[in-house]
Amino acid sequence: MSQAATDKPGSPEPKRSNGFRISRRAFLGVSGAAAAVVLAVVLALKRPKLAEPVETQTDSVVAKQDLIPTSCLNCPTRCAILVRKVETTAGKTKVVKISGNSASTYSEGKCCSRSHVGLQVLYNPDRFPHPLVRKAGTEKGRAVDYDNDFEEEDWGGALDRIAERLTSPDKLLILQGLNTTSNEDLIRRFALAYGTQNLFDEEGLETAADRKGKMLADGRSDSGYEMVSEDGTSTKYILAFSSGIVESERPLARNLRLWGKLRRELPNKTKVVSFDPRYSVTASRADEWLPINPGSEGALAMAIAHVILSEGLHDADFTNDHTEGFNGYSTLARTQRFSPESVSEISGVPADTIRRVAREFAQSKPAVAWSGEAATSWPYGTLASHAIYCLNALVGSIDVPGGIVYQQQPPYAAMPTEGLAITDTGITFREMADLLREGAIDTAIGFNSNLIMSVPESKEDGKWDKVLKNLFYVHIGPARSEMAAYADIILPACTYLEDWGYESAIPGSGYAEARIKQPVIEPRDGSRPTARILFDLATRTPLSAPLSPIESNSEAFAEDFAKYRTAPLMGWDDFKDSGVWKGSSYSYRNFAFGTDSGKFEFHSDHLERLLNVGLPGEGTDYPLKLAIYRPVLEIRSGSQNFPWAQEMYLVMHGRGWRNLVEINRETAHEHGIGEGDELVIESTYGEIEGEARVLEGMRPGVVTIATGQGHFASGRFADGMGMNPNDVIGTEYDEESGQPSFFATRVSIRKA
Amino acid sequence: MANWGMVIDLDKCVGCQACSLACKAENNVPHGSPHEQKRHHDIYWHKVIAATEGEYPSVNTQIIPMPCMHCDHPPCVNVCPSKATYKRSDGIVMQNFRRCIGCRYCIVACPYGARNFNFKDQVDEEYQRPDLPEDLGLSNEGHIGPWPYPHRTRGVVEKCTYCFHRVDQALENGEEVGSKLDGHHGVLPACVEACPTEARYFGDLDEPESAVSKLLASRTYIKLREEMATSPKTTYLPR
Amino acid sequence: MQLSFAPVEGNSKNYKILVAVLAALVIAGVTAYMIAYLYGFRLWGVNNSVTWGQLITVDFFFIGLSAGSLVVSSLVYVLGQERYKPIGRVAVFMGLLLMFGAMLTVLTDLGRVEKCWRLFMYFYLSNMKSMFGINGIFYAGYLLLLGTYLVAALSGSKLTKYIAPVAVLWAMLVHMGTGAIVGFIETRHVMYSPLKPIEFISAAFASGLALVMLLSWLTLKFSKRPLDKEMFVSLGKMLAVLIIVLMVLVAVDKLTHFYPPKREAVMFLIAGPWAWIFWLQVALGYFIPLGILFNPWLRKKVGWVIAACAICVVGIFFERAAIIFPGLSQPLEYYPGEIAGIWGARGGFLIMPAETLQTLGIVAVLGLLFVLGLKFLDLLPAPSEGEHAEGAPAEPAAPAPEGGQT
Ligand SMILES: Nc1nc2c(c(=O)[nH]1)N[C@H]1C(S)=C(S)[C@@H](COP(=O)(O)OP(=O)(O)OC[C@H]3O[C@@H](n4cnc5c(=O)[nH]c(N)nc54)[C@H](O)[C@@H]3O)O[C@H]1N2
Ligand SMILES: Nc1nc2c(c(=O)[nH]1)N[C@H]1C(S)=C(S)[C@@H](COP(=O)(O)OP(=O)(O)OC[C@H]3O[C@@H](n4cnc5c(=O)[nH]c(N)nc54)[C@H](O)[C@@H]3O)O[C@H]1N2
Ligand code: SF4
Ligand code: SF4
Ligand code: SF4
Ligand code: SF4
Ligand code: SF4
Ligand SMILES: [Mo]
Repeated sequence: MSQAATDKPGSPEPKRSNGFRISRRAFLGVSGAAAAVVLAVVLALKRPKLAEPVETQTDSVVAKQDLIPTSCLNCPTRCAILVRKVETTAGKTKVVKISGNSASTYSEGKCCSRSHVGLQVLYNPDRFPHPLVRKAGTEKGRAVDYDNDFEEEDWGGALDRIAERLTSPDKLLILQGLNTTSNEDLIRRFALAYGTQNLFDEEGLETAADRKGKMLADGRSDSGYEMVSEDGTSTKYILAFSSGIVESERPLARNLRLWGKLRRELPNKTKVVSFDPRYSVTASRADEWLPINPGSEGALAMAIAHVILSEGLHDADFTNDHTEGFNGYSTLARTQRFSPESVSEISGVPADTIRRVAREFAQSKPAVAWSGEAATSWPYGTLASHAIYCLNALVGSIDVPGGIVYQQQPPYAAMPTEGLAITDTGITFREMADLLREGAIDTAIGFNSNLIMSVPESKEDGKWDKVLKNLFYVHIGPARSEMAAYADIILPACTYLEDWGYESAIPGSGYAEARIKQPVIEPRDGSRPTARILFDLATRTPLSAPLSPIESNSEAFAEDFAKYRTAPLMGWDDFKDSGVWKGSSYSYRNFAFGTDSGKFEFHSDHLERLLNVGLPGEGTDYPLKLAIYRPVLEIRSGSQNFPWAQEMYLVMHGRGWRNLVEINRETAHEHGIGEGDELVIESTYGEIEGEARVLEGMRPGVVTIATGQGHFASGRFADGMGMNPNDVIGTEYDEESGQPSFFATRVSIRKA
Repeated sequence: MANWGMVIDLDKCVGCQACSLACKAENNVPHGSPHEQKRHHDIYWHKVIAATEGEYPSVNTQIIPMPCMHCDHPPCVNVCPSKATYKRSDGIVMQNFRRCIGCRYCIVACPYGARNFNFKDQVDEEYQRPDLPEDLGLSNEGHIGPWPYPHRTRGVVEKCTYCFHRVDQALENGEEVGSKLDGHHGVLPACVEACPTEARYFGDLDEPESAVSKLLASRTYIKLREEMATSPKTTYLPR
Repeated sequence: MQLSFAPVEGNSKNYKILVAVLAALVIAGVTAYMIAYLYGFRLWGVNNSVTWGQLITVDFFFIGLSAGSLVVSSLVYVLGQERYKPIGRVAVFMGLLLMFGAMLTVLTDLGRVEKCWRLFMYFYLSNMKSMFGINGIFYAGYLLLLGTYLVAALSGSKLTKYIAPVAVLWAMLVHMGTGAIVGFIETRHVMYSPLKPIEFISAAFASGLALVMLLSWLTLKFSKRPLDKEMFVSLGKMLAVLIIVLMVLVAVDKLTHFYPPKREAVMFLIAGPWAWIFWLQVALGYFIPLGILFNPWLRKKVGWVIAACAICVVGIFFERAAIIFPGLSQPLEYYPGEIAGIWGARGGFLIMPAETLQTLGIVAVLGLLFVLGLKFLDLLPAPSEGEHAEGAPAEPAAPAPEGGQT
């Protein structure tokens, strides 16, 4: 039946069969042979050993490994860390891992996520390999081209050029970002000995009002929230006013560790209430999120005081014995305008909720009211800070276990004050802005500063851009950053992992703790410790007193200085081995206030101004309020040029390498905006563009943008990612502290 | 033989992602780029997700850190044709890079998105992890590569190993492994060690005295996607 | 009926151009693959969410067509339906070619293609719980069987009679096995279904028959060989039945998954971002061909029947795509709620040049082998008396690889 394709006799020329004719036997033969070959191949190949115990192959190439104790500087908490350095059998040395140092009880040997990013701070591919000097005629700012705008210079030459500029102390401005404590001490010392008042500490950009408000009350600047005392007493109730306790609020690593304790390890679970317009990580972890109108925190604090005082829930023992001005304050707080009902209109928090929270707060001891920077970065920031802080006094949480404690300092070796040109230095943000506007400054030196990213009105051709372009600016920092784009001279300081020094624990624990900074590897590419740079500068500049009381030389100075200062704590070698020195236990109830009266002072002057918060101006051109926040992976002492931090930047949104314009679903709907739309955010100060993130967890009428992005000169992993909200934020000042109010800008949004 | 498992307390966890970062550092997991993130090309052995429900103002976001679940009945092992992914006798689901043919069937089958494919050679100019030297003079013999430089190539799938190298080394050295409720922990996986809130616990699920067993006995717990019947050994204590 | 087979002449300009074009595409495909192999699959559209892409879609498509072709051939060689004989050989040849193509796609889709031998070599030593491992055996055996079958058919050996039924059964296994690769994966709700193996077979029958009809018609027409209209019309009826069976299966499957309250997967498929694929599957795969084949008028016109075949083949391609793309890009529900975080976001897929060129290249390989086969093997019935075999067979209608960007 099957028809062979035979040549058909009679069919003409066209090509016929290819003559594919195989006999059945041949066919069988061929297939048989093929099968045999296949089989042979199978057999020839080694039978697979699928049971091979692969896990035995984890041999190590580590020839030698060291765990070097030092401290982190990716935020002001300055935690103790251990850095693992390995030497491989192939003879290479590499820093591979950072972990907490359990010798530090401050955060129980824990460190936060950003500590791990230290590896990428150290090996940042965009570090400066040499001192650089700007070529004449090149443009500063956004147009920077690091490869062509600068010439390499040797250290001596670069330092000489700087010294030439130091002719008049009044014309010098020193900018200080986040620096190692020992370097901060030296910078300050340099300013005092050189005789310039003009030292601006960038912490003054935002903590000034907060600190001032607290100072008004207790006359101290070292108060902190203890959360859990050494004996295990924990705070029972936390009112977080815009405080990112588990994202940003200092001391972060300590907060995180103690958070774990508060939630599950101690008998009574602490209740946490978060007042934040944004459903932040902290708000989502807290027991209650109370969305609040930005800027109304001070008024809200007064309403809470109103309830506590009206119902007589306050700690009368404390207010009677240790305070001043209580009556005036009490009278003011109990007025109708601070009643929950009227404040609820301003703040958006229902009156019943204010009442309930106030009662819970007063009845759970110890309880603290914790102010974050957003609550106080307002025109009346100092007053808001004061109002919030006073709540702690009302419930007697001052200087008690689990309440507010005053941080003790390690007894470092003294720095002689003889011969210093001036006795105090430091200016507020407002003073700095005025000096620059008046043209009183001709040279600025920035130590680890990224001012242009951090100030309001940071935009191109904005006021700061212009001012900085006209200054002779010396940038001291390890890697590319926006300020370096304005520099005339760049000195590559080493990173904190290559530096010598000491760090003091910041307020939180009460007891003092000091941590060492020691290089885990030699400074890369010939970068130098800040201390050494200052030493070399000091030898070239006429100072009224020596930079330090010790004999040393340029190369050894950084270590020598740290060794000298920490000598009273413990032996240098022991310090290098353990990395941590701990002071004696904190003693409570000293009530050592620094006020004139020696008591905790309730101030009631001007507190009614707290009611003057502009609500989102419906119907105006700028109907929305812009609020900003720091996600946990925003690296404070750096440029965000760190891929690990970048790729998981916004945990709540599961997005990295950017920031987003976060907006409430309803508000977005009103503006015809959908998830993922490209938006223009406009204020009177400028415009930025960003991607919309539409969500439920946001107060209607508010948009929030994370800071830390929008870099333009920080390197390959940072530039061009997201936007800098500072470009649209305007400058208004807090009267008392001269701090700019970052949180007061109204904006409009539209689709790009 | 131990039966390793991890317990994560969602009440303590604050989504700081120290776990994800510690894992990257410990296991030399390469970082991605904006472009790769957009295209889901980047590699994470550990991830932290946020699951949100509800409407303003009663929103609820659950933050969930997710290593590999090290399923007791791992679908990834079931589907792997070449036995490149397999379960060790101590329950750790492992990945043998040398055996993997790169079919990505395991990625299709894993209910937890725990597995990632190497879409490129990870020694790639621009996005190369700059803190690693190019030439360590290592052989490519080991399937993971000699610790601490896991060796990977493009074309294979990888995932969390419960830091088996730490566990194995500790056992070899006679050290204790696992979390302790009193805080004096034995050797731990990098992510557990790094967790600042101590939300993570690691230990032997078959040992009733281990911290993980005690926690599971004392609190209600959940496993993700239980309907998949994978019996994850990474367990969560809800808020 | 006396029937003789003869190759095409293959000397015409058109034929040469066709061969040249196909060869060029093959070279482009090989180059694309080499580049992708060297630089990694980042050059492709696949990613950690939609981890299979064009190649696996085409793989499933080809395997289906192959199995279908074989079944058509079985009409001749097993059931002895003499009237379908003219296309019997083409069908076997197509079956082999398509399977070869399918193997090219899966193997080059492997991240470590140099290790593919593991899949075929270890046989039962591979993981026998893995549908892919089991299919390794099915595929290898199938290729061997088909080769034997073709040689036997070409040589007119009586063995065809014995090989054919085995090959057909094996083809069903291969295809059901392939269906099981996706159907057994509970994680992916769009894929997960006990019906998948059956659905795959059914789709294979329909698409295989449609393709064989289409190709043989094209070839016969262009090479001016005798064209048996009756045969095509009767095959058209068969196709209609097969499409209905397939449609019912798909409907039952989707309805089963739609019925319970947890119907996200079906909604994602029919109304999600990839819904267009599904609706193209339904329209092109079922409705339009059925419309033609049931139209009392059109179903008798060979041209229309063949058009229905072509549309159906394209439609079945979308059926494959509707498994891969929606199936893999639906976000995994790690936890209730809207998930933000690594791949809580829906997976997307980009049409990337390297992957697309490679897919086209593989299609071109098949086209090339097909036209060369026509020239060098006796696949087609000999031309009618006095006519010169001329002109070139058209390239197999390769539906454009599909995908979408989301
Ligand atoms: N991750 C990270 N941590 C850091 C830093 C960092 O850069 N990154 N920097 C450190 C430094 S220098 C500082 S000063 C501290 C600051 O730390 P915090 O004082 O905690 O300041 P933020 O994190 O900016 O803001 C806290 C919260 O305030 C909310 N918020 C914004 N506007 C308003 C408002 O008008 N009203 C209310 N009620 N809430 C508002 C934000 O949504 C955010 O959740 O963080 C330190 N810690
Ligand atoms: N809109 C808005 N603006 C704000 C704030 C806000 O809440 N909202 N917050 C304000 C606050 S709280 C602060 S504290 C300021 C912060 O503002 P800045 O103090 O300017 O801090 P950074 O931006 O972190 O800049 C740090 C610089 O140090 C360099 N650097 C990094 N590591 C090292 C190192 O190891 N050694 C040395 N020598 N240099 C290093 C980096 O390259 C970078 O240039 O921003 C303020 N700006
Ligand atoms: S809290 Fe700050 S200092 Fe401590 S580890 Fe984190 S980033 Fe470093
Ligand atoms: S490190 Fe701990 S607290 Fe941070 S995200 Fe991971 S599990 Fe949560
Ligand atoms: S979570 Fe995924 S990768 Fe891990 S064992 Fe389970 S199935 Fe496998
Ligand atoms: S990709 Fe590798 S591990 Fe995954 S299933 Fe395929 S062979 Fe197995
Ligand atoms: S157990 Fe180890 S490998 Fe797994 S997520 Fe944690 S650190 Fe990564
Ligand atoms: Mo700050």
